[in-house]
Amino acid sequence: MQLLFLAVALFLLCTLIAGMWRVLRGPTAADRMLAAQLFGTTAVAILLLLAETYDNPALRDVALVFALLAAVTAVAFVRRAWPEQVDDRSD
Amino acid sequence: MTLLAWGFDGLLLLGLLGLAWKALNSTDLFSAIALFIAFGLLMALVWVRLEAPDIALAEAAIGAGLSGALLLAALARLRGMEGNVTSNTGVEEAPNNIDARLVQWLSAILLLPVLFGLVYGVLSLPGNAVGLSAEINANLAASGVSNPVTAVLLNFRAYDTLLEVFVLLLALIAIWSMGSIQFNRSIETIGKTSLETTSSVLDTLVYLLVPVLMMVAAYLLWVGAHAPGGAFQAGSVLAAACVLLLLAGWPLHRLLTAMRLRLLAVAGPVVFVSMAAYSLIAEGALLQFPPEHAGTLILLLETVAALSIAVTLAALFSGGQGQHE
Repeated sequence: MQLLFLAVALFLLCTLIAGMWRVLRGPTAADRMLAAQLFGTTAVAILLLLAETYDNPALRDVALVFALLAAVTAVAFVRRAWPEQVDDRSD
Repeated sequence: MTLLAWGFDGLLLLGLLGLAWKALNSTDLFSAIALFIAFGLLMALVWVRLEAPDIALAEAAIGAGLSGALLLAALARLRGMEGNVTSNTGVEEAPNNIDARLVQWLSAILLLPVLFGLVYGVLSLPGNAVGLSAEINANLAASGVSNPVTAVLLNFRAYDTLLEVFVLLLALIAIWSMGSIQFNRSIETIGKTSLETTSSVLDTLVYLLVPVLMMVAAYLLWVGAHAPGGAFQAGSVLAAACVLLLLAGWPLHRLLTAMRLRLLAVAGPVVFVSMAAYSLIAEGALLQFPPEHAGTLILLLETVAALSIAVTLAALFSGGQGQHE
């Protein structure tokens, strides 16, 4: 079972690395930000899987903090960075 | 199992290096920030793999809750300044290529000794270091807590934490000395972003999330005695709740007036110092707690420190916000 958990975690890490492409390419700021937010969700899943694999309940706390605080960055993006970004789409 | 773990670690390392390189190399400041946020996530996973869940928790709390919001707010302010001051944003500044090349090569040459020093340092590490974990575990009963990390941070080497609390206070003083002192002049002054300062979606999110964040902060503070957690993690989660309130345009400055804010910010350092002075007089050693009361004293210290840290971090965020002169 632990082997399966670790394998799934590895697979999720692969998807996370693949998602880097979207952060790099954009084209709009929202694309980059949403990709980074999706990374956060994936990281929560990886942490929960690792918590089971290595039988370390503290990792669930890390996942909890990540899951709760992801919203703060998203709100900061919407309130601070988004309106100015609309018209300057970088390549 | 080990092969999978190796694959996981290898991929993590490659991703981390790639993200770091791209974040430093990116000319667009916004994508650099997005990459840095992703870097923080992978870094937390690296700490998990290095079996340091305490640091992973701190990285999660600071990285996800504060540094992203801080950087985005700084970028928004930088953009605002670009309109007025038409120079010196650092990115498009390259008067001619030769100068830029020269600076790059020069800094590369200057960094080489650092690289050699680091490599030498790593290579000269002893093969299998014993460390102090045996001694810590032997004395854990006297520390008042059962989490070795908390025992080190708040009992055996509490003066480290004492100094760290002062570093935060110093950072706040430095930021305040450069600009305004108000905690938060209301959100309307910050930018053109919000004519209507409230949105029902955001308010609902705040209603739901802030109580949960406060509860999680209290949980992290409490759990620090026997599992990863503690004052810094709890303080950062609480600070994230404050940042959320500030971003949503809630009048936090009415609750935390300038005086209350200052009192809260210095409460942690003051309690720490007075406890150090008391222990120096009563016990004869700096920050040495009597074993029978150590647990209570550590919890008290951590609670006050967490409040101070939360207020200080939130004020750091607020201090970085644009204020129209």
